[in-house]
Amino acid sequence: MNLERILARLADGARQVLQADAAAVRLLDEGGAHLTVTAASGLPAALWQREPLAIKHSSLDGEALTGQPTIVADTRADPRAANVPEGYCSALCVPLMHEGDLIGTLHVYAAVPQRFDEEDVTLLMPLADVGAAAVAATRALIALEALEASKAHFIHVATHELRSPVTVAQSLVRSVLKGYAGALTDKQADVLGRISRRLNFLESLINDLLDLAAGKAPELAAEVEGLVLLNGSVGRTMLLLQPRAEEKGLDMTLQPCHDHLIVWGTEDGLDRIFVNLVSNAVKYTPSGGSVTVSVRQVDDQAQVEVTDTGIGIPEEALPHLFEEFYRAPNAKALGEVGTGLGLVIVKDLVNRYGGRIEMKSKVGQGSTFTVSFPTCNGER
Amino acid sequence: MPKILAIEDDLDMLAALRMPLEANGYEMVAATTAEEGLQKIKEVEPDLIILDVMLETTTAGFQVSLQLRSPDPESEYAAYRYIPILMLTAIHTTTSLRFGPDEAYLPVDDFVDKPIDPDVLLKKVRTLIEQSQ
Repeated sequence: MNLERILARLADGARQVLQADAAAVRLLDEGGAHLTVTAASGLPAALWQREPLAIKHSSLDGEALTGQPTIVADTRADPRAANVPEGYCSALCVPLMHEGDLIGTLHVYAAVPQRFDEEDVTLLMPLADVGAAAVAATRALIALEALEASKAHFIHVATHELRSPVTVAQSLVRSVLKGYAGALTDKQADVLGRISRRLNFLESLINDLLDLAAGKAPELAAEVEGLVLLNGSVGRTMLLLQPRAEEKGLDMTLQPCHDHLIVWGTEDGLDRIFVNLVSNAVKYTPSGGSVTVSVRQVDDQAQVEVTDTGIGIPEEALPHLFEEFYRAPNAKALGEVGTGLGLVIVKDLVNRYGGRIEMKSKVGQGSTFTVSFPTCNGER
Repeated sequence: MPKILAIEDDLDMLAALRMPLEANGYEMVAATTAEEGLQKIKEVEPDLIILDVMLETTTAGFQVSLQLRSPDPESEYAAYRYIPILMLTAIHTTTSLRFGPDEAYLPVDDFVDKPIDPDVLLKKVRTLIEQSQ
């Protein structure tokens, strides 16, 4: 929920509760010396003073900001009413305060004089308190999101720098391993093979961290979000992972949906969701098992279900599956490369695109992950 | 002996390319900047160019390929326009599926993902040189 909407509701609420003619919210700036009208209700646009107002020039606000609700019975005879919009004869101004911090003031106005009394103050104060708490919470959330984005930026830059040396080292090792720098003894080949596997893991980790950063800060993603074809993304995933499934002796099948399912997101993001889910299924299903991907429309939802006959997820691991770097004990024991970031990336992206993810699993029998997205037919 | 010009600013990556190529009978010439690359195209007249996307700037590699494939008949590279180009990319595997040769987007003939798998590299090199002859 954004701040403007919260403030607009606060102004509307204040006007309705007191059945006043108009209401306005004035927020303090960072320095605490100026107030700006940030939301209003019932106030004609022409009367909405948008320039910051110095507190010292508004004794009405100044008084309220000492924590004291202030009533102006008749603006025509009260010097404190200097900044009450024209045409209103009475005003009530209460402080917006949260845990001792001043946030701003809440004003209500009436066209007639003598309109507000102590009873109105009693009605308005709880609303002002709830409003102030909402403003404080929203501001904290905005700050947290900014922090999260700057963390993502850092990870993005750092991993980009890491990727290049890892890539080069892996390329060198592979060339040597293939014997292009001369014949290798068994021992040398074994050691280089170990180095190569470690570099492989490092590369997966770097790629996952980049994906994770992109999921948290949309401006780091390669594409701008828009309408994309879900079927295409699933098709590409199957194409990419079919060879790996065959190599492992798995039966991988697609139950396609013949309707075009258009959803909100990016092609890249959807690919990552499905590549992560299907490659997990392939990774954690022993040879001879099967992986089934089905795509369907259920009401206004596009649904993709990835089912495997793999090792399954222990019940105690289920609550942790979407935690960064978590890996279920039986997955770790299998010796497959995994970073513990794949499902976190999936969940971030699914949430970003307005979707849902669900899972069912039984140890030794397999797992089913279902993702659903609202279908968009040209509108959003 | 077929000649390959590798335009890549990382000396270690050049070493990784050189090993499989030379072991398979190719002569490899290296250039580490876009400018040096363009100059060596004229000097060496390679059978194939291996080109990194990122050189001195993030898109210098793209610039080299665009200059080389310029449709302008007066272009100083007109004689070299048909040399096949294999581009080195560090893009995720899934993205590269849609990153196919697209004349309108980028005039290169094929892509190889980094880290380099020498067998994939050799196969693509062989195919591109055969096709161009």
